[in-house]
Amino acid sequence: MALEILKWIGYATIGYFIAMQVYMLFLAVVSAAALRRNHHLRRFGRVGEMLSSRTTPPVSIVIAAYNEAAGIVDAVRSMSIVRYPRFEIVVANDGSQDDTLQIVVDAFGLEEVRIPYRPDLDCAPINAIYRGRSGVDITVIDKEKGGRADALNAGINAARYPYVFCTDADVVLDPDCLVHSMQRVVEDRARTVGVGGNVRPLNGSRVQLGHLIEASVPKRLVPRMQILEYIRNFLASRPGWSWMNAVPIVSGAFGIWKKSVIVEVGGLTEGHLGEDMDLTMRVHRHLLDQGVPYRIVYEPAAVLWTEVPDTLRVLRRQRIRWHRGLMRAVRDFRGMTFNPRYRQMGMVIWPGFVLFEYLAPIVEFIGWFVVPTAWFLGALNTTALVWLLLIALGMGLLNSLLALLLDESFGYFNSGADTSRLIAVAVIENFGLRQMTVLWRIRALLGGKGTKAWGNMERRGVANLARQE
Amino acid sequence: MSLELLNQSAVILIFSVNAILLMALIALKLIHRRKMTSHDARRKDYLRLLSRHISFEYHTEPITEPIAEDPAFLDALIDMRNAITGDDITTLRRIVNHHGIIERQMRHLDSSWLLGRRLRAAVALAELGDETSADMLIRHLDDREPEIRIQCARGLGRIRWTPAIDQIVSRFGREIPWVSTRFSDTLVGYGTRATWPLLAYVRINHRFETEGAVLALRTLAQIQDDEAVGPLLGILAETPDLEVQIATVYALGELGSPQALTALDSLLDTGEWALRAKAAGALGGLGDAAAIPRLVISMRDENWWVRRSAAAAVARLPGGSDALYRALDDEDPFAADAAAEALTDIGELVSARRRAAEGSPTEPLLAHMRSEG
Repeated sequence: MALEILKWIGYATIGYFIAMQVYMLFLAVVSAAALRRNHHLRRFGRVGEMLSSRTTPPVSIVIAAYNEAAGIVDAVRSMSIVRYPRFEIVVANDGSQDDTLQIVVDAFGLEEVRIPYRPDLDCAPINAIYRGRSGVDITVIDKEKGGRADALNAGINAARYPYVFCTDADVVLDPDCLVHSMQRVVEDRARTVGVGGNVRPLNGSRVQLGHLIEASVPKRLVPRMQILEYIRNFLASRPGWSWMNAVPIVSGAFGIWKKSVIVEVGGLTEGHLGEDMDLTMRVHRHLLDQGVPYRIVYEPAAVLWTEVPDTLRVLRRQRIRWHRGLMRAVRDFRGMTFNPRYRQMGMVIWPGFVLFEYLAPIVEFIGWFVVPTAWFLGALNTTALVWLLLIALGMGLLNSLLALLLDESFGYFNSGADTSRLIAVAVIENFGLRQMTVLWRIRALLGGKGTKAWGNMERRGVANLARQE
Repeated sequence: MSLELLNQSAVILIFSVNAILLMALIALKLIHRRKMTSHDARRKDYLRLLSRHISFEYHTEPITEPIAEDPAFLDALIDMRNAITGDDITTLRRIVNHHGIIERQMRHLDSSWLLGRRLRAAVALAELGDETSADMLIRHLDDREPEIRIQCARGLGRIRWTPAIDQIVSRFGREIPWVSTRFSDTLVGYGTRATWPLLAYVRINHRFETEGAVLALRTLAQIQDDEAVGPLLGILAETPDLEVQIATVYALGELGSPQALTALDSLLDTGEWALRAKAAGALGGLGDAAAIPRLVISMRDENWWVRRSAAAAVARLPGGSDALYRALDDEDPFAADAAAEALTDIGELVSARRRAAEGSPTEPLLAHMRSEG
């Protein structure tokens, strides 16, 4: 009897894994169709039309900064050279203990100003506001420490334009990222409340004066694995979510929101480890509850480059933090799961997220113990086990290859060596790396001390990430 | 079929698909990249060839049929069209006509089932701008593909095809926002020729096609035709729709005619804050200092957006900075805040404070500092 149960748990685990891969494949295929159409349209002059039009809506770029002295100037410079008709940059300095404030004030010739500040969203007290008009419209909000979400809320309060682009200080923007993403807003200004962009790892690439000169795949395995993960996530899932108008997460590093909607839902939640997912889901719930027609879209051509963990130690901390954020989101939005009131979000995407993101580590973890034990005790047929494992491995590889194929249409990695490294990591990750991330997520499920509000990422500054020539 | 056979088949199928994807990836990497490099190289060669044809009237190097059919040649033609002016355009047009480029692109636009090819054809027709394609471009203003509709309007705008203005304007209300805003850009390109069709559209539709009327008014604001001021004042008096009123006020502000002063001034007392704010902003665009006293009163408005707009408007008017410096001492702290923000926005307050720190403050700031003790 026990053997029989073990056998069926084993089969169920492998079945779950295959179902997960099928779900991901479904999203990848939908994404491929969406990207193909997008690729055609991108080739024909939309950027120029947006840039020359006076109907293009202005945007406030809001950056949350804490102890970013190493890279804040390069980050602001990178933002100041985006091609867009009208934008301002708002830096919210969240009580940095280093020279972040002084460095940015000196670099851009800012001065303390007395202007009204309207606290539409709650946040820690403001110490001073700095502004300058040296070419680019920059405002710096110096505030008491309150965390990333709190800093973004302060920045959103100070933003003067109807759309806010929330991002971090350790990123490099593609010069056309704003025009590509705001084009989605112009397409349907009445309904579009949020636009997510394509976040790509910067590690290994060459950066000069806030510009990405050449994208490249690093030789280190940890960031290389994350490049593949980001490509899978941003090109083989999100376009599909977007097509279904059910994007469950607009990345915290690249999210454009209608300011009035953020104010309506009360801004970002401080202390939430997945505040980007929390905000996106609250906007969905709020607008669906109100019965307001809306859309939250994803634009793959709008690209932003960011630093990802370089070592397993930092990656472990990040993944634990992310999974805790997901755990809280699953708890907070449990009422939306399989709830037809929330349409495709409630019936397809959010349940998929719960099943294949939140529960995945538990099922996989059980599988590692049960499947070998069942096989060892003779409950599982060796041949059948090998075939099923091969199916699971093959499906995983299929998703990765499809994502890489989709990525080729953007042509960021020019050399064949870069692509070969990514193909290699698509195979290698199945033997150890994937299992390690499952262990970290199990660790997150077990609870423990909360992570710091600003995470533990060791910032080196985007310029310092530059590959040595 | 046994379970093992089923598993076996599934594995074979999955790994076969993997192999195909891998091959596709490699092929894309090698062939596509090479194709693109070759396309770029040919495009450069064709550009040189076209320059020689345009620069030397009797240049004999042939443009053969395969060249004329090459997509890289089409790209080179578009590049060249955007780089030349005057008589050179006539020469280029002769080359285009001689090789039947327009006819070919019209054929593609009309009958190809490939979206990429149809889009390319629409872009080519829009960029090359040939009057023979006007009828087809008008017909494709109703194309099922939004991007093609946009390119067709652009093409009509490029050749300044006046009969198309009405056709484009009439689609404002029923188009998706992305397309109608691009149509608006095209009409701006037509200049004052589009003024009356747009005014007529607003007059007829302001009651029941608000979105279209608003876009038409925004387009009029950009065309900057003084002749529109009178009719716009008429529409402002007549329309009951708040959105249309706001857009009309905006247009009047952009046109900057003193004729609108009285009408805009009276709107500063209206019950709708959005309209008061827009009227305040528009008064700033008229350039008439007579509006300052009334705007200073609006800086004490109960709504912060109105206060901010009024202060920003004062800052744009002659003598506005002095009025704002005086408003820094206003008994209403909100008005003083709005003044400070407007002065900061135009760089006045910052530079005046800097001069004060350097020992040479401006008179208005000095007066303000004295009042602060």
